[in-house]
Amino acid sequence: MVDAAMTGVTSAGMDSAKLKRMRRFRAGDATFRGLTFGAALTVLLLLGGVILSLIHGSIPALSTFGFGFLTSQSWNPVTEKFGALAPIYGTVVTSFIALLIAVPVGIGIAIFLTELCPPWLKRPIGIAIELLAGIPSIIYGIWGLFVFAPFFQTKVQPFLISLFEPIPLLSNLFAGPPYGIGILTAGFILAIMVLPFITSITRDVFDTVPAVLKEATYGLGCTTSEVVTKVVLPYTRVGVIGGVMLGLGRALGETMAVTFVIGNAHKISASILAPGTTISASIANEFTEAVGDLYTSSLIALGLILFVITFIVLAAARLLLMRMNVKAGN
Amino acid sequence: MASSLGTTASAGYSGASSPVAQALYRRRRRSNKVLLTLSVGATIFGLAWLVLILGALLYEGFSGLSLAVFTEMTPPPGSAGGLLNAIWGSLLMTFGGVIIGTPIGILAGTYMSEYGRGNKITTVVRFINDILLAAPSIVIGLFVYEVVVVRMGHFSAFAGMAALAILVIPVVVRTTEDMLNLVPNQLREAAASLGLPRSIMIRHVAYKAAMSGIVTGVLLAIARVSGETAPLLFTALNNQFWSTNLNAPMSSLPVTIFQFALSPYPDWQKLAWTGALLITFTVLALNIVARAFLSPKAQK
Amino acid sequence: MTQTAMNTTGLAEKISIRNLKFFYGDSQALKTINLPLYEKKVTAFIGPSGCGKSTLLRVLNRMYDLYPRQHAEGEVIFDGQNVLDPNQDRNMLRARIGMVFQKPTPFPMSIYENIAFGIRLYENLSRSEMDGRVEAALTRGALWNEVKDKLHSSGLSLSGGQQQRLCIARTIAVKPEVVLFDEPCSALDPISTAKIEELIDELTTDYTIAIVTHNMQQAARVSDYTAFMYLGELIEFDETTKIFTSPSDKRTQDYITGRFG
Repeated sequence: MVDAAMTGVTSAGMDSAKLKRMRRFRAGDATFRGLTFGAALTVLLLLGGVILSLIHGSIPALSTFGFGFLTSQSWNPVTEKFGALAPIYGTVVTSFIALLIAVPVGIGIAIFLTELCPPWLKRPIGIAIELLAGIPSIIYGIWGLFVFAPFFQTKVQPFLISLFEPIPLLSNLFAGPPYGIGILTAGFILAIMVLPFITSITRDVFDTVPAVLKEATYGLGCTTSEVVTKVVLPYTRVGVIGGVMLGLGRALGETMAVTFVIGNAHKISASILAPGTTISASIANEFTEAVGDLYTSSLIALGLILFVITFIVLAAARLLLMRMNVKAGN
Repeated sequence: MASSLGTTASAGYSGASSPVAQALYRRRRRSNKVLLTLSVGATIFGLAWLVLILGALLYEGFSGLSLAVFTEMTPPPGSAGGLLNAIWGSLLMTFGGVIIGTPIGILAGTYMSEYGRGNKITTVVRFINDILLAAPSIVIGLFVYEVVVVRMGHFSAFAGMAALAILVIPVVVRTTEDMLNLVPNQLREAAASLGLPRSIMIRHVAYKAAMSGIVTGVLLAIARVSGETAPLLFTALNNQFWSTNLNAPMSSLPVTIFQFALSPYPDWQKLAWTGALLITFTVLALNIVARAFLSPKAQK
Repeated sequence: MTQTAMNTTGLAEKISIRNLKFFYGDSQALKTINLPLYEKKVTAFIGPSGCGKSTLLRVLNRMYDLYPRQHAEGEVIFDGQNVLDPNQDRNMLRARIGMVFQKPTPFPMSIYENIAFGIRLYENLSRSEMDGRVEAALTRGALWNEVKDKLHSSGLSLSGGQQQRLCIARTIAVKPEVVLFDEPCSALDPISTAKIEELIDELTTDYTIAIVTHNMQQAARVSDYTAFMYLGELIEFDETTKIFTSPSDKRTQDYITGRFG
C-alpha cells in the first residue's frame, strides 16, 4: 500500500524491476541531496569552529590580562606580561600604508584597462595582474628581504630621512637610521600584494557601468578623464570601496611577506622606518617557540583579534559588493 | 584645428568656439592627459613588480638548480644537499589537502546551485564562504593547531593536510557554484523530462557541462595552497628528513624556504631561493593552465 | 469555455485535466482549466504569449517542481492516477510523459550516449541490444541516416535542426506514452521545421502528443485538436478543423484571423 502511494502512477508498462529501480533512485536522490547539504553546512561549521576554537584558546590570556591586553604595549615572555597594542598598531599602520599606495595605483590600472587599453592588450595585462596575485606570499617575503629591503635601505630611506628632516612632525615619522626592514617596507610589500585584488575588483565594477551612460557622456563632448571622474567613479563608488575593503582584509591578515621584512620588534616607534611587528608576524615568528600556556594563549588571542578585525572588514566589503551587484543587475 | 573652426562661427553663437570655451577646452584636455598618463604610469608600476620579482627569482634561484635539488635531502648548515624531502612533503600535503577539500567544496557548491539556489541558507553560505576565501591563512593554522595538534599531542602531516583542505574548500565552493549557475536550465529540464533523477542529472549532465570550470577551480585551489606557509608552520611543522608518516611532522617547500631564508647560512639561503623559484613557477604554471581550461564563455 | 458537441466516441482520454489552477508565487497563471488529451492524437495549444500554454504543458510532467514557489491545484488524471499527487514519483512520471523543448538541448556527450543515457537508467541491456535501441530511436527520430557514421562525436556538433531531432529521438528512446512539445520549431529554419512536423505526424501512431506553438499554421497542419488559451484561461477547445474554420468564441476568431497576439 505504501508502495502504491509512493510510486503514484503505475501501469502495465512498469514492471517490478522498474519499480525497484525507481525506489533506488529515490534513495540515491535523497542521499546525494543530504551530502550536498551537509557539505554546505560544513562551510558554516568551519567558520563557527574557527571562532570557537580561537575563543577557547585565548581564554587564559584574556582572563589574566582582561581588557588591558588590548591596551598594553609590553610583550615579555620572561615575566609573562603580554599586551597586543604593538602588533595591532603594526597591523593597522602597515595596512594603511599599503592602501595608500595600492588604491590609487589599482584604480589607475583599472582605468587604463577599461578606458584606454587597446583590446588586444587587455587580456595579457589582466593575466599579468592576476599572476601577481598568484605569487605565494613567502616569495614576496624572500624577495622583500633580500632584494627590496637593501635597495630601500641604501637608496630610498636616506633620501626620505634627509627630505623630511627640516619639517617638524614629519621628521619624527621618517626618523633614521635606515634599517631597510621596518613598518614602511612591510607596508610597501603589502601594497604590491594587495594591488591585484584591488585592481581586478575595480576593473570588474568599472565594467558594470552601462555603455550607454558612458556614450551619453562622451556625446556631450566630455574627455575620458571627465567620463571617469564624473560618471564611472560616482556610479561605481560603492563597488570600488568594497574592493578596497577586500584589499584591506588581505593586507591585515597577510603573514609571510610581512614576517620577513617587518623586523619583529614588539614596540611602537614614532618613525615608520623603524622595525615593528604585526599580529600575524608575531604569531608566525613565535608560536612554535612559545613556552608556557599564557604565552601560547596570548598568541592565540592575537589571532582572535586579527580574525575579528578581518571578519568585520571582509563582511563589510562583501555587503558593499553585493549592493553593487544588485545595482548592476537592475 | 579647433581654432580654424572658431573663426568661422564668430557671429551669433559664441558657444563651444568662443575664446573662453577654447581656453577651457585646452585646460580640460591637459587634465585629461594628466589622468591618462597617470593611469598608464600606474599600469607600468604594477607590472614592473611582476618583472622584478620573477627576474630576481631567476637570477638568484636558477644557478642553484641542479639534479641534487631533486635527489638529496635538506642539508645541515655548511654541507651540500637538496630539497627532496621538502618537495615530497609539499606534494603529499597539497595532494592530501586537495583530496579532502575538493569533494566537500564541490558538494557544497552543488547544493548552492542545484538545490538551494536563491534560498536563505545558500545566501548565508556564500557570504561565509567569501569571508573564508579571504580570511588570514595563519588563523586557519591556529584553528587546526587547536583542534588537531593539541588533541593529538603532536605536530603531523595530517594536521597540515587538514589546514590546506580548509583553504581549498572555499575556492572550490566558489567556482563550482559559479560554474553550475552558468549551466542553462533548459539542460536540467531536458534531463528531468527523460525521467532522470535529480542526482543523476547533476552528476552526469550538469557536472559534465560545468566540468572545465570546476577543474579550473580545483587547479586554482592547488595553486593557492601549494605556496601556503603560514598554516603549515604549526600544523605540519618541519622535518629535516624524509618522512612518509602522516602522523609525524613533515617538511614542506614553503616552510623550508622560511627557515632557510631567515638563517645566516649562505648555502641555506641559496637553497631557499631555488625552492622559491620552483614554487613560483609551479604556481604560475598552474594558474595559466587553469585559465586555459576555462572556456571563453565562462571567462567573464 | 465554449465547446460545441464534439464527436468523441471511440476516443480514450489519455490525460484529463480537471479544475487545474497554477500559481507562480502569488500570481495565478492558470484559471481553472478543464481539458482532455485524447490517446494517440495531437492536441495543439495556441494563444498569445503569456497566455499560459507553456505553463500548462509544464504542469503535465511536473516540470514546475524544479523551481521553488510554483504550485498547482486541481487534478491531472493520467491513466487513472493524479499526476499532481504529492507522492507522485516525478522521475517515473517524466519517463512516461516525455518533453521536447523550444531550444535543442543535447547533453554534453556523444550522440550515442545522448540516446543511451536515458535508456540505461531504466533497463539493463546488452551492448548489442543497446546498439539496436539507439539505432531504432534515431531512425524514429529521422536522424539515423545523417549520423550513423559519427555516433561517437559530440551531440553539440550537429546543426540546430539535427539537434532537435536528436532530442526527439532521445525522448522517445525511453518509450514514453505521451510526448509534450514546447514550441519545438521556434528556433529552427523552415526546412528543419518541416522535417519535425513530418516527424510529429508519424509519431501519432504510437504516442499521445501535446504541442505548444505560436505558429497557427503549424497547429493547423499537425494537430487533431486545438485548444485556444488567453490570459490563463482556456477559451475554446475543439477539433482543429472546427477551430480554424468556424470557432465559437469571438476571441478565438480574432486571434486566428490575426486581429491580436
